Amino acid sequence: MGFDLKLAIFKPALKFAMERSGHGAALGFKLTRVGRGEVEMTFPYKEEVIGNPITGVVHGGVIVSLLDTCCGCAAITVLERRAITPTMDLRLDYMHPAEPNKPIYVSAKVYRNTTNVIFCRGSAWQEDEDNPIAHCVATFMKVDAEGMRFSDILRRRLNRLFNSNKKSSAEKLEEAK
Amino acid sequence: MNQSSSDNKLDQDEISQVIIAARQAKKPQMILDLIPYSSFIGTQAKVEKEAVIYWLERRSSNIGNPSLPAIHGGVIGGFLELSAAIEILYVLDVNAVPKVVDFSLDYLRPGRYKTIYANCTVLRQGKKLVNVSATAWQDDPATPIATARCHFLLP
Repeated sequence: MGFDLKLAIFKPALKFAMERSGHGAALGFKLTRVGRGEVEMTFPYKEEVIGNPITGVVHGGVIVSLLDTCCGCAAITVLERRAITPTMDLRLDYMHPAEPNKPIYVSAKVYRNTTNVIFCRGSAWQEDEDNPIAHCVATFMKVDAEGMRFSDILRRRLNRLFNSNKKSSAEKLEEAK
Repeated sequence: MNQSSSDNKLDQDEISQVIIAARQAKKPQMILDLIPYSSFIGTQAKVEKEAVIYWLERRSSNIGNPSLPAIHGGVIGGFLELSAAIEILYVLDVNAVPKVVDFSLDYLRPGRYKTIYANCTVLRQGKKLVNVSATAWQDDPATPIATARCHFLLP
């Protein structure tokens, strides 16, 4: 069905959504590679997110955000139907502390894509990819969505609720007659 | 108390002093103010009924999904990890920032665009390792949005 074409259109949209708004924009990471089931990101060092004021090492929470985003993006790329992918759980192992003033590279890969669940793993490293600072596994739920945007779903749901109420009151009127 | 981001290098003695002072004054916020990441996401803490309660006020830089809008899952994770570390520094007799070894997070409900609260419990303290559990909620502590479990290595 020409999925690669879809991915080509999807890639800038994903990049825009992740890098230009909310927490992604605040952290300032870049999506460097988006492939089917594989995503890579780069995070430049930032003083605002230091977790250890003695050493200047970034806080673990930054690594959580990076790996959650990276795994989430990888999960979205393997969807074969319109769905949203909330995270079910995320497990991180910190192998060694990150070094200050150096960028952090993150990669994530979907290793199993089932009917309802997407299994993903990711790692974060600085100089040597084989000596990661952290490794994670994350699972994502596939929740069907007719429209990609949640606002569409919400509007549809509200309409449905509103219409069904209307119908039932109309039915009641008919019954009363 | 107010550390600017440019001169964030502190030494161990200064940190120990602040932590001890925070325990005496019952102000865990003083420990949070040492860590630049806490103000980056906007974490706050206070003592309520002998327990520390942490919260994260809503702010646009913490949004993960702009169309919902929902709080970024990574921010919830970072917030819980930070809360767990502060809990160790405030409750236990530890004066240096503990090292996180692993972190496991279960997302139970979406984090809506409003204040997130959290509390932490030290489940076990060994000579080297501490196990902390953290729970985050928004409206009601009985309906948590996420739970986390983490191991820290004591310095």
